[in-house]
Amino acid sequence: MGNSEKLRADQLQIIRSGKEVLSGISFCVDSGEVYALLGGNGAGKSTTLLSFLGFLPPSGGSIYIKGVEVRSNIKAARRAIAYLPESASLYEHLDAYENLRYFLQLAEMPFDKHRIEATLDRVLLASDSRTQRLQNYSKGMRQKVAIALAILRDTEILLLDEPTSGLDPSAIDEFHNLVRDLADSGKTVLMVTHDVYGACQVADRLGLLRAGKLVGEFTAPAGQRIETEAVHRAFSSRHAK
Amino acid sequence: MNIASALIREARFVSYDRVFLGWLLVVFLFAAAAIGSGLAETQHQNETIQHLVEADQRDRASEYSKQGDWGSAAYYSFHFTYDPPSDFAYAAMGQRDAVPWKHRLRMLALEGQIYEHDAGNPELALIGRFDFAFFVSFVVPLVLIFLLHDTQASERVAGRFDLLVATTGTDGFLWWTRVFLRSGGIIVATILPLIFAGSLNDTSFSTLISAIGYVIVYLVFWTIVCIWFSSWRRSAPVILSALIGVWVLLGTIVPAGGRVFIDRIVPVPSGSEILLTQREAVNDAWDLPVETTMTAFFERHAEWKGYTKTGDGFDWAWFYAFQQVGDQETERLSVAYSKGRRERDRLAGLLSLASPPALLERSLQRLAQTDSAASLVYETEVRQFHLALRKFYYPRLFREEPFNVETFTKLPQFSPAS
Repeated sequence: MGNSEKLRADQLQIIRSGKEVLSGISFCVDSGEVYALLGGNGAGKSTTLLSFLGFLPPSGGSIYIKGVEVRSNIKAARRAIAYLPESASLYEHLDAYENLRYFLQLAEMPFDKHRIEATLDRVLLASDSRTQRLQNYSKGMRQKVAIALAILRDTEILLLDEPTSGLDPSAIDEFHNLVRDLADSGKTVLMVTHDVYGACQVADRLGLLRAGKLVGEFTAPAGQRIETEAVHRAFSSRHAK
Repeated sequence: MNIASALIREARFVSYDRVFLGWLLVVFLFAAAAIGSGLAETQHQNETIQHLVEADQRDRASEYSKQGDWGSAAYYSFHFTYDPPSDFAYAAMGQRDAVPWKHRLRMLALEGQIYEHDAGNPELALIGRFDFAFFVSFVVPLVLIFLLHDTQASERVAGRFDLLVATTGTDGFLWWTRVFLRSGGIIVATILPLIFAGSLNDTSFSTLISAIGYVIVYLVFWTIVCIWFSSWRRSAPVILSALIGVWVLLGTIVPAGGRVFIDRIVPVPSGSEILLTQREAVNDAWDLPVETTMTAFFERHAEWKGYTKTGDGFDWAWFYAFQQVGDQETERLSVAYSKGRRERDRLAGLLSLASPPALLERSLQRLAQTDSAASLVYETEVRQFHLALRKFYYPRLFREEPFNVETFTKLPQFSPAS
């Protein structure tokens, strides 16, 4: 295991209610890399993320974060990760600042107003909406606040669960640019999605997950993107089976 | 994890929660209303006692001035006895709604006078008063249940649970902090009016501290129950239903079922049975030979054997003797009644160990001296006072001492122990 390796699943098996949800998958994600796990509904994508967060202990195999097995120190593993859940629901009765203040305090991080303003600028959340309660936000605006939170956590690793779900096309492009910037600055990103085009746009490597098994892996050629057509063909043919 | 910073963080978070703040206000207002109602009632009782004590003295002095013999003076005069509310009765009215706290006694047979009273408001006595003890025992736990049952379930439904746990690193401390603040807020809102009323009413420090301690321990118990249930990985309605079930079981089924069971295994004669038996005995005495009555009387008062007349004419000594014999006739029932009440109270105390709401209510009533034991103490005081009256009048009646109004300065005066 090299120093640059931040995430590793090694023959990861998860059994829930007697059903095998993940069947011995193995992959690793290096520092500064964006790895996309692509799969249909029920393929085991979110289960993989929850395993890295220590919510689902492996029935077999192991999971490592920065070389340390998650089970041995769950708290440290979670502290090393910024997690963006699918359709992140922050507190609707709080505004963007109040939500960020609360979650940053939960992570025992200081509330730095200038840094927060800069991050909200970075995720392109309109200034005049920042003091409004989230109950008045669109889904995309809420997602931007959640993304800002993940960035503000300033962790080495980001786990993103369907991060572009519900975003409009321009917001998706903005988000992909943001993820690439983060990776270029050394962050490790593991995202799960069923958006073939989006995954190919942003990922350095891409794993195809089907019925709990990793059935294919694609790597972007140096300086280029993963070829969408090839992934789409593989995804569609395997997805149809 | 820095506890102080976590508490500050959650306190700020809670301060944005309008639903919680609303409940906090409601609890404070209801606690204040319950205390206020108790204060008004105890003030009314104290004023009533004050008024009746003065009227009693005036009335008796006036009556004595009209009479010319001891028998008539004893017959036409009344003696006011009372059980004043304690300095904490405003918080737990207890038996004071169901059992008389004042009697206007005469030198006649006692048992009928004790049991002829009705409660001031039978309907109120039946449903119980909305006092602080009831409010904190039965209502506040419901508020805690409503506020705390979905501590985790609501976050799961909103999709925040994993994010919160992943962000904080551990899942236990966050929930404990949230629950501690909410529960602490409710506890403070509950006891603040109590502390205010305690200082206003000069409640003894030890009583007030004990009451506050009981309330805190009790609400912490419900908080722990709520925490345990809320950690279930079930939906909020399921958890709420389970908690309401626990509340119904501990607050209603156990005490009500226990009371039925205790009433069945410890039969107690009714007050009306004692009243009727005594009145029949007294009425029958008019038709009995004087010797029959006096023989029964001398079994208790042999010292007056040589002083009685057995002629056909009316004699006050004989009249009061058959009043006492009427009491003697009901003595077995009366003793069974007191003994039965004590035994029921003892068993109810044991049963309350299985019903925290009943235990708290009993504990507060004990502190307020409004429990069953306190009412029996007052009943004993009434019996002792009536005995003192008999001791005052019997020598004068049997020795046929000359009537002298001045002698009434030696008349026993009722003085409550509390």
